Amino acid sequence: MANAIETHELTKAYTVRGGRAFVVDHLNLQVEEGEIFGFLGPNGAGKTTTIKMLLSIIYPTSGTAKVLGEEVGDINIHRQLSYLPEKPYYYEHMTGMEILDFYARLFRMGKAERRERAERLLQRVGLADAGFKQIAQYSKGMQQRIGLAQCLLNDPKLLFLDEPTAGLDPIAHIEIRDLILQFREEGKTVFISSHELSDVERICDRVAILNRGVVKAEGKLEDLLAGGRIEITAENVPESLRDKVQQDGAIVSLHEGRLIVDAPDTISTDGFVDAIRSAGGKIISIIPRRRRLEDLFVETIAEAERGGSVQEVSG
Amino acid sequence: MNQVFAIAATTVGEAIRRRVLLIILMVGLAFLIIAPSLNELSPRGQQQTLIDISIGILRITAAILAVTLTVYLLPNEVERRTIYTILSKPVHRYQFLLGKYLGSVVALSLMIGLMTLVVILAFGIQQQTWSLERISPLIKVPFMMIFQMSLLAAVSMLFSTFVTPVINFFLSGLVWIFGTLINPIFERWGAQGEASDAVTLVARIAHYAVPNFSNLDIAQGAATAGATQIRGSEAVHMANGIVYAVVYVCILLVVAVLIFDRKEL
Repeated sequence: MANAIETHELTKAYTVRGGRAFVVDHLNLQVEEGEIFGFLGPNGAGKTTTIKMLLSIIYPTSGTAKVLGEEVGDINIHRQLSYLPEKPYYYEHMTGMEILDFYARLFRMGKAERRERAERLLQRVGLADAGFKQIAQYSKGMQQRIGLAQCLLNDPKLLFLDEPTAGLDPIAHIEIRDLILQFREEGKTVFISSHELSDVERICDRVAILNRGVVKAEGKLEDLLAGGRIEITAENVPESLRDKVQQDGAIVSLHEGRLIVDAPDTISTDGFVDAIRSAGGKIISIIPRRRRLEDLFVETIAEAERGGSVQEVSG
Repeated sequence: MNQVFAIAATTVGEAIRRRVLLIILMVGLAFLIIAPSLNELSPRGQQQTLIDISIGILRITAAILAVTLTVYLLPNEVERRTIYTILSKPVHRYQFLLGKYLGSVVALSLMIGLMTLVVILAFGIQQQTWSLERISPLIKVPFMMIFQMSLLAAVSMLFSTFVTPVINFFLSGLVWIFGTLINPIFERWGAQGEASDAVTLVARIAHYAVPNFSNLDIAQGAATAGATQIRGSEAVHMANGIVYAVVYVCILLVVAVLIFDRKEL
């Protein structure tokens, strides 16, 4: 499958007192067409800077980037992409309908087409009844939805969404997430920068974790999150059993007869269960725990801060 | 051009809703309304005094409006991130800048038009006359003022591509004062060699580097009540002034585009 986004040694550096500060440091990234790609990282990691370079809002210090097969900077590519910035502002004196009409004019659409698209998109994002309300009267969730509507005006192949669910209430959150999932069904490529890791885990096919401008982990979510853990809880377990259940990678806690074993899911649970039962213990629960994106994120950033290398999972 | 007009139309809509501009406009209108009573205090008490006072108020208000409107145009768009959604569409930076500028010129023209209307009404009521012969100076001078203010707006627009709004406000204000009051003196020095060679050279450089807003003034004598027709020499003066303003605006906007095109947003 072709790449919707491709960067080669993309770098953004600023001259600061005493040297250069790299905001994005020799970034090599490939995002395939039709996938939802999560671009993660702590504040100041270089996520928004990367997006801005891909949109020619700022210029790279060195390196190259291609969007939809064309070098960035070619304004014609912008006919096929869209951008929803973090905390966007829309002219408050305008109504939702007027905002969409304004953005549609930037694509040189005719009046009838502008009206038809605006009405259809207001319907799609659930603002059909608020189309003639001023933006000033919109809630945060409504503003985010009108933002997504303006993103869809040109039926883009590629969408850049910067923190699309930040600060939204749970209902608005779910609605925006569902809209993004619909984009995948329509074959659109979505590049999401977000701190909402639970959202990213639910909707993204692949992710990259960026720290200080450098990719520290990249790959398919299912591969990156492989390797969960199992938690076994038992009661009436004698102290003498502690050494028997201790295995590599397992965390064992035994206090007043209550045993909790937290072990990698690669271990055989049968050995634990047999040992506990034969010692007169009672199994309370065996809970498999999937590795969360949050765990991966925290581990990756912590390791990066300690000076670890890039974790790359192919596939 | 569709993109430019779309951005211009939005700029007009935003400008006429900006509270600070409305306040300046209201203060200007209030002064224009009370101008006839100031005239009664004048020892001369003549029609000319009323015209001078009204045009003076109009000019100062328009200049403050032009600078206040333009200095925030680009910085606000960046700060509020509106510019990102616009430039992510098939819009060139020069189209954005041009749209913003045209929008500000239209908004300024509307405001000057409204103030002119108030001046004419106040003048007509005070002088008890509605003859075109008498009010024509109050149309000609504001008409040229639109070009003057468009030039001042272009100066502010250029500064806004590389300085903060506060610095821009003072820089634009200085250019306005220099170009209105001092530049005509420099022009005379540069042309007639009234001063030493060095002063003449500096005067010439300063004269060409800073727009001469007085080129767009109609001579007070020519603008007095009673001048029914635009006289031949006056028409030429006005046409020259308009050409001067348009050329100067184009140069300023080209420089602004060159800077803005490489600006990190």
